[in-house]
Amino acid sequence: MGRVSFSVNGNPVDIEVEDRTLLVDALRDHLHLTGTHVGCDTSQCGCCTIRLNGDAVKSCSLLAVQAQDAELITIEGVADGDNLHPVQKAFSDCHGLQCGYCTPGMVIATIELLEQNPQPTTEEIRAGLSGNLCRCTGYLNIESSVRAAASAMAESDKS
Amino acid sequence: MNLMRHEDQRLLTGTGKFTADWNLAGQLHAVLVRSDRAHAEILSINSDAAAAATGVVAVYTSAEVISAGFSSIPSGPDIKGIDDQLISKNPLPLLATDRVRFVGQAIAVVIAATEAIAQDASELVAVEYRDLVPVHSVENALAKDTTALHGNAVDNIALEFESGNKNAVADAFATADRTTSYSVTSQRLAGAPLELRSVLADYDAASGKIKVYTPTQGLLGMRGSLAAVTGIDAANIEVITQDVGGSFGLRGGPGVEHGLLVLASMKLGRPVKWVASRSELFIGEWHGRALTLKGSVALDQEDRIVALKFEDEVDLGAYNCYFGGFVGTNNLSVTMGGAYQIPALYMQSRLVYTNTLPTTAYRGAGRPDIAFAIERLIDQTAAEHGLDPVEFRRKNFIPKEAFPYTTANGSEYDCGDFSAVMNKALSISDYQNFHSRRDTSKHLGKLRGIGIGYYIEKSGAGSAPKDEVSCKFHSDGSLTLYAMTGPSGQGHETTFAQIVGDGLGIDTAHITYRAGDADHLLVGNGTGGSRSLYGAGSAFKNLVTAVVDKATPYAAQELAVDVDDLVFERGCFVPRSGAPGLNLTELAQRYANKAESMVTRSDDDHPFNTSAETTTGANYPNGCHIAECELDPETGVVRIVQYTAVDDLGNVINPDLVRGQVHGGVVQGAGQAFTEAVIYDNNAQLISGSFMDYAMPRAGLVENMTTETHAVPTKLNELGSKGVGESGCSGSLPALSNAMADILREAGVSPMQMPYTPHRVWQHLHRGS
Repeated sequence: MGRVSFSVNGNPVDIEVEDRTLLVDALRDHLHLTGTHVGCDTSQCGCCTIRLNGDAVKSCSLLAVQAQDAELITIEGVADGDNLHPVQKAFSDCHGLQCGYCTPGMVIATIELLEQNPQPTTEEIRAGLSGNLCRCTGYLNIESSVRAAASAMAESDKS
Repeated sequence: MNLMRHEDQRLLTGTGKFTADWNLAGQLHAVLVRSDRAHAEILSINSDAAAAATGVVAVYTSAEVISAGFSSIPSGPDIKGIDDQLISKNPLPLLATDRVRFVGQAIAVVIAATEAIAQDASELVAVEYRDLVPVHSVENALAKDTTALHGNAVDNIALEFESGNKNAVADAFATADRTTSYSVTSQRLAGAPLELRSVLADYDAASGKIKVYTPTQGLLGMRGSLAAVTGIDAANIEVITQDVGGSFGLRGGPGVEHGLLVLASMKLGRPVKWVASRSELFIGEWHGRALTLKGSVALDQEDRIVALKFEDEVDLGAYNCYFGGFVGTNNLSVTMGGAYQIPALYMQSRLVYTNTLPTTAYRGAGRPDIAFAIERLIDQTAAEHGLDPVEFRRKNFIPKEAFPYTTANGSEYDCGDFSAVMNKALSISDYQNFHSRRDTSKHLGKLRGIGIGYYIEKSGAGSAPKDEVSCKFHSDGSLTLYAMTGPSGQGHETTFAQIVGDGLGIDTAHITYRAGDADHLLVGNGTGGSRSLYGAGSAFKNLVTAVVDKATPYAAQELAVDVDDLVFERGCFVPRSGAPGLNLTELAQRYANKAESMVTRSDDDHPFNTSAETTTGANYPNGCHIAECELDPETGVVRIVQYTAVDDLGNVINPDLVRGQVHGGVVQGAGQAFTEAVIYDNNAQLISGSFMDYAMPRAGLVENMTTETHAVPTKLNELGSKGVGESGCSGSLPALSNAMADILREAGVSPMQMPYTPHRVWQHLHRGS
């Protein structure tokens, strides 16, 4: 067992974990942030995607102790109080989610994608989401969601 | 902020609740020990070391299951085959006793303080096997002198089934002008909902009640089968489900894990939790498809189809579980004539045991497979005899005037307009100018193909005698709706609120839907067979009328008019005199709070609370899908560049959600066509055991999709709607495969079987040319 401290959604935390505890399990089991999901065991599905120091990472492929001093954002920290992030809003507007299991990972991956590339082409959207699986939507509405979010964010930057 | 669906707020903010998100005080964790052999006798199981490990509470083997009197996993309906022979039932035991029959079969369960401890201890359970010869395929199972999996299934055959008129078909073939035969394989798939299968069982010895938290498609199916497995009275089983991360036919009933966790919680008096790993689900949850369908068609001189027959082989896996038997019999036979007017139909299917994971329903459960087989056969026939695939279909379609139409094997299609649907699809896809797009591709060194798939399928008749719904008005003016059908992404909460909100003139933001609420148990089907909208949705339409009927006398009293002088329109009771009316929400609130009648009135007593029902059975959604694909012969990579879906789904209630269902279904079909396959080697060892080896569709697999509907409303339910959930797969398997066959014809090589992965396509091009 060892201690690890980092911040999640702006809140400092300090927890005791086994050396082998994965970051996703620390978030879910120790911190009760169950919005981050687990959908596989080979880091293929992207359901556990969170932000670590700004990067979108799969929290199943890091040990909790590797997050020492990091700043983490999970899906619970994406909205600004009651105001949804434009990406969250776009996913609803475009019906970019059905069962919602992959959605937290999709939203986080999209936010990072749009920060790096505010006006991605369709090819770039597909590449940006290539680490995230969805079994329900067939992805077409997810692609529309990303485009709609990009437009909305560009509009709000202008104003 | 108004979101499109009621479900979206919680799912977008990480505040939804899937089964693994539940934790109870004092809970223990379970890990299963599974067979790594496909076929073996179990000589001994030594769990001493595991049981002695620190933190381990118990290790159970089949002895504990047997002494508790628990039963095996249910084997589905009593299907009758040729000569009234009954399907052999070899149900899957919760834990293997003396023999294992597939890789992944559960042998023991370890219960410990944490999942990690249980996992570590599970590796200390020593199982001694004596290997038997594994039966890895249907061909292998039917070969001479193969090992029999079960004593009661001679030659590994569970059932030989038939439908239609064998002699009429034989006569038609004997006198036919031309015939064509073509065999397709609908390969074994993993349904792979993204939520991991999970169970949390919590037994209360004092009351004798058990709570089971788990993803389901509807409470009653799960509860009923769980009662059958455990012997616990269904009334003492409470199934708790909030959000379900996809299901696709896989999660209607319990797996062995549900039974084992109930057993553990009862024996230990504590909550016990199990969350699968993905690798575990590839060997431990059900597989789907696994069918081979050999079709033959007979034509007369005018290119009319005079007979159609199928010989099908169905891989049940090692045990007969749930709908496994239904997929390869009823669901293949009911629409075996497709959208065509064919005077003679006959099919036979052989259901076979192999040393593989049991198969059951997966999105469409036989419907996409038969639509695929028919439509590939139609295109193959057209190609072989130089017929235009559009004209050939048009000539043989059941004409609009012929409805209601009874097929040669007894299915009653109620309505449809196949030519109109196909015309719309041809127009949207710009079918007539395909040749110029093909030329453009050719110029770039690519091969382009186009394919049509016209499917018709029978949506689920339902296993419950009716679909009941009810509602409860609250003092703040909000309304809660209740039914049994459990959503897994379809948007029940949104659509049912829309039906009732539109009918009663209540803002849908104030309407909540609860599926399978323990305090509001009703009769009704779970989600399955694409029937939630036309079943429960129709009942909700009836509920609107029931609420208005109940509220009318109260409105009349408030407005001091006669009941007959009131009309209800746009949410308002309006006197015929033209005097000011009263809206239902306000009226409902008034009666929730009415001082004189309200000593301690609770929401349960609201006078407008009521229930409604419907008894609708199956209907026949159909549609024309047209796919255009482009192959790079250098790499074998095929792109799905354009996809058009025109579906007759009857009346559409929520076009956005319907489009979402079509997208999802089409891409699951595209997954089967281009990427997915469960593969066993010759020792029946699973080769495709993770998302690293089992290729799921990713963004961009289908590049462009246009979806439209052409409604021919059915009179079989109150909404006039037909099923949509499974239709996408039924359209896309044949449309994509026909496009692929078109490409291969262009390349001068023979057709090939799915999946059309770059490697397989490249090999086929080079070997076949």
